[in-house]
Amino acid sequence: MNSPTPVIQIENLTYAYGRTEAVHDLSLAVQPGRCYGLFGRNGAGKTTTIKCLLNLLRPQSGQVRVFGLDPARHEVEVKRLLSSVPDQVAFYPWMSVRETLDYLASFRAHWNRQTQQELLERFQLDPAQRTGNLSKGQRTQVALVAAVCPETDLLVLDEPTSGLDPIVRREFIEAVIGAYQQGVPGKRTILVSTHLIAEFEGLIDEFTLIDHGRSVLTLDADQARERYQKIRARFAQAPPEINLEAALRVRRDGRELELIANGSGPELMERLRQHNPEALTTEALTLEEIFVATLKGG
Amino acid sequence: MILQINFKSGMPIYLQIVDQVRAAAASGALRPGEALPSIRPLAEELRVNRNTIAKAYTELESQGVIETLPGRGCFLKENQSALRKKVRRDLLIEHIDQVIVQAHHLLVPHDEFLELIRERLDVLDDKRRAHEDHKED
Repeated sequence: MNSPTPVIQIENLTYAYGRTEAVHDLSLAVQPGRCYGLFGRNGAGKTTTIKCLLNLLRPQSGQVRVFGLDPARHEVEVKRLLSSVPDQVAFYPWMSVRETLDYLASFRAHWNRQTQQELLERFQLDPAQRTGNLSKGQRTQVALVAAVCPETDLLVLDEPTSGLDPIVRREFIEAVIGAYQQGVPGKRTILVSTHLIAEFEGLIDEFTLIDHGRSVLTLDADQARERYQKIRARFAQAPPEINLEAALRVRRDGRELELIANGSGPELMERLRQHNPEALTTEALTLEEIFVATLKGG
Repeated sequence: MILQINFKSGMPIYLQIVDQVRAAAASGALRPGEALPSIRPLAEELRVNRNTIAKAYTELESQGVIETLPGRGCFLKENQSALRKKVRRDLLIEHIDQVIVQAHHLLVPHDEFLELIRERLDVLDDKRRAHEDHKED
């Protein structure tokens, strides 16, 4: 089968600040129309990776491609095809919201004024307000308006919701789904880096978990929730000796056992069942729980 | 019709939506000819990828549960009686299986388990009758 060119392709990317390696040998590919999560703790290398995509940093080894293009050699073309919300939003403080958006629109071949109007109303932003007087949440909202209106095929969000209150976070995600994804279905691609995984859970098609600059896990979100299971068993007496090597983690508390399984759930359930537990339950892990289980397990 | 996503069920999100729409059709929460929520507001409300909702609706359409009227949206198809019976059974089987497993863990023998079911049916029947008598008063 002839697969389409990935919207983002990162191959063996390495970047170091002086002697400190921020990203090490990272590879991932984002297919068109997908929403891809880049998950990691603070300082895991998410922002450095994104800066390489946006040509704010040059890879020291390996390569990045956006729509098959090298962002360093085809900077203008790549910038035309994507929009982004950075982790630190900065505008000229003396400009009003409207002036800021007009200014940003002047760099774009296309700008959806109707979407701009709808989003300003939805966020209850006053177009006449100076951006210097906006709260952090409002600045992020203006940045999202500016990222959605050009209707690019790729939207890059770098820790977009950290430091915002829950209502602003919720509205932000709803606007990404409603205003951005609504466009040509199947063509709107999203890359979002975050450590606030729970709130993006429903949006994520696929993700890569990075830690200390290295890729730890790449999975389809539905597959991940199917593979990772939490199993709880309670026995009449202290749990017998059972071979539970297949579990990612085992916790014992009196007569109870709690296991985290990665793909070995059915096998472990069968083993536990043979010892006639009083109770045996299983549930899927959310993406956030998978994140914690994977990073704490080492 | 109120849909709810559970990330801890281990079931793909689009299949959860398919199942819930089928259940709503079986229970009468969604009636033939009634509209399903449009994709965009539903995706926003559930904070779920728009494509996931679209995938669920495509699946429901291919199963013959809903139909898309161009420019008007998605509607529950008429004549869902066969589906209703099957979905009702499937839904019930799911719950019954859970109870059976529980009974097994609690070491309740089969005959005692079946006896208990009959007993509970009688208790709930009595309750319902008492409730109806009360209403007539």
